[in-house]
Amino acid sequence: MSVIAPKFKLSEFIKSLLDNVFWIILILVLIGLPAIFMILFVIELPVINGELLTPFLALSWLVNPTRTLPIVHAFMETDIFRVIAFPGFGFAALLAAGTIFVERKMLAKLQLRVGPFYCGKFEGILQLMGDGLKLISKEIIIPAKADKPIFWAAPVLFVAAAAAFVAFIPVAPGWVVADVEMGLLGVFAVIGFFPIITILSAWSANSKFPFIGGIRALFQMVSFEIPLILSLLGVVMLTGSLNLSEIAASQSSFPWIVFLPVGAIVFFITMLAELERIPFDLPEAESEIVAGWLTELSGMMYGLVQLGTYLKLYAFAGLFVVIFLGGWNGPMVVPPFPAEILENGIEMGPVTAKFVGLPLFTQEMLNGTLWFVLKTAGVIFFILLPRGVFPRIRVDMLLNLGWTKLIGLAFVNIFIALGLLYAGVLGPGGLQ
Amino acid sequence: MVGELAGNYSTVVLMFGFAMAAMAPALIISRMLSPRKRSNPVKFLPMECGQVPTGEGRTHFMMQYYPYILMFVVFDVMAIFLYAWGSALLEIPKMATLPMMGFLAIMFGAMAFALYQSGRRRIW
Repeated sequence: MSVIAPKFKLSEFIKSLLDNVFWIILILVLIGLPAIFMILFVIELPVINGELLTPFLALSWLVNPTRTLPIVHAFMETDIFRVIAFPGFGFAALLAAGTIFVERKMLAKLQLRVGPFYCGKFEGILQLMGDGLKLISKEIIIPAKADKPIFWAAPVLFVAAAAAFVAFIPVAPGWVVADVEMGLLGVFAVIGFFPIITILSAWSANSKFPFIGGIRALFQMVSFEIPLILSLLGVVMLTGSLNLSEIAASQSSFPWIVFLPVGAIVFFITMLAELERIPFDLPEAESEIVAGWLTELSGMMYGLVQLGTYLKLYAFAGLFVVIFLGGWNGPMVVPPFPAEILENGIEMGPVTAKFVGLPLFTQEMLNGTLWFVLKTAGVIFFILLPRGVFPRIRVDMLLNLGWTKLIGLAFVNIFIALGLLYAGVLGPGGLQ
Repeated sequence: MVGELAGNYSTVVLMFGFAMAAMAPALIISRMLSPRKRSNPVKFLPMECGQVPTGEGRTHFMMQYYPYILMFVVFDVMAIFLYAWGSALLEIPKMATLPMMGFLAIMFGAMAFALYQSGRRRIW
């Protein structure tokens, strides 16, 4: 029989508890009180229902559910909520994680395998969590003579650039992190960061395979960025706006893919190339150059790059949906919020609570999000599908495809848009 | 105003900063949790499929497709200029499209010549 705690003394136990209490109080005083002062003096407090939200009110409202909902409402209007949770990082990361799992299962089914199966009892649904734990507990090996600051910073910068891309994508009417006039140009600017981060990471590793992969990524960006930019010009000409929310709102009666299918096809192909997916996965061709520019990344650094890649995939699919498939537009399928709850409150047995802030989300927002997510999932499915079907293409074929065929088709798309506009089919006097 | 216009983009920077602030701890926690054994110097050599690496990591090698990089510098700017025209197309008179067609014709000629030259591998 083993002794669990041979040297247990009650006095030492109490002493350790008091020690913990002491440190907690000390840290709260040193960090918590200045934080409260900062909130009180520096940050402008919101006014809710005509009352200034002081910390006293906030704490007393938190225990009273009828007064909690207005605070939640006010919080949901802030930029912080948008950046962290809904149209921003949390939402995108959730969809990205779902994409990783669906990709592994779907690819396995295409190749007559089972895929992740054991983790989580049912079809391996906990596989991602297990992979995350594995990656976070693995040793990070940095090659000797690597440029350490750049090598450490590159994965974090990659995720951050992908998140900045996500910031431009409108999910529902009014629900976008950055609603800017030049949204599309901002997207092009952010896309331009990815090859730079790639080649910085590749150069800093001081190894041959990453360097070759980085150079290939640069070539890919060079030959596909111009068709990417030109293929979206047709839509901009017809809407007369660079704001992504306005472009999505302009497709209330029909999506642009009906009139500009050539542009949509060119954009889809360039999207595959920018995402470094098969058949354009030359920068990380695993059968030629180990793993391309990811060769020297290990442990959590590789995990971060994967997260960034899938965030970027979601953002590109969202951009395709917003520009060509009508964004959040779709028939209203979400039922309206029941009116008796708004009038009488919720009755549960003897308790009747009248909630002030309900509903938290409007019907339009829920419907828009539903349609956006459905369309995005469809586009993501078509992005994942070529991986099970196509072989990889050569570098010279890639450059030839990008420079002659896709740029030519992008100009054909521009002339189609110009013809539709000047023939009076679309634009002022036409269908819209 | 210019300042307001730039201020609209602060949320993009906020998103960029939040992602960095949220992801850097993942690396730090991983560094704290994971084992660190420095017993074997071979472990820290660059990956070269099991061989001991020779030569420099940042090697010089022939960029066979260099003309495409030169073309990119010119035609990327052209593509962005086309956006200035395309986003204002609904407001400008129809006759203003004619000089744009002339511009496009010149650029097509230039692109065809550049593609022909880049196809002649021997001169590069």
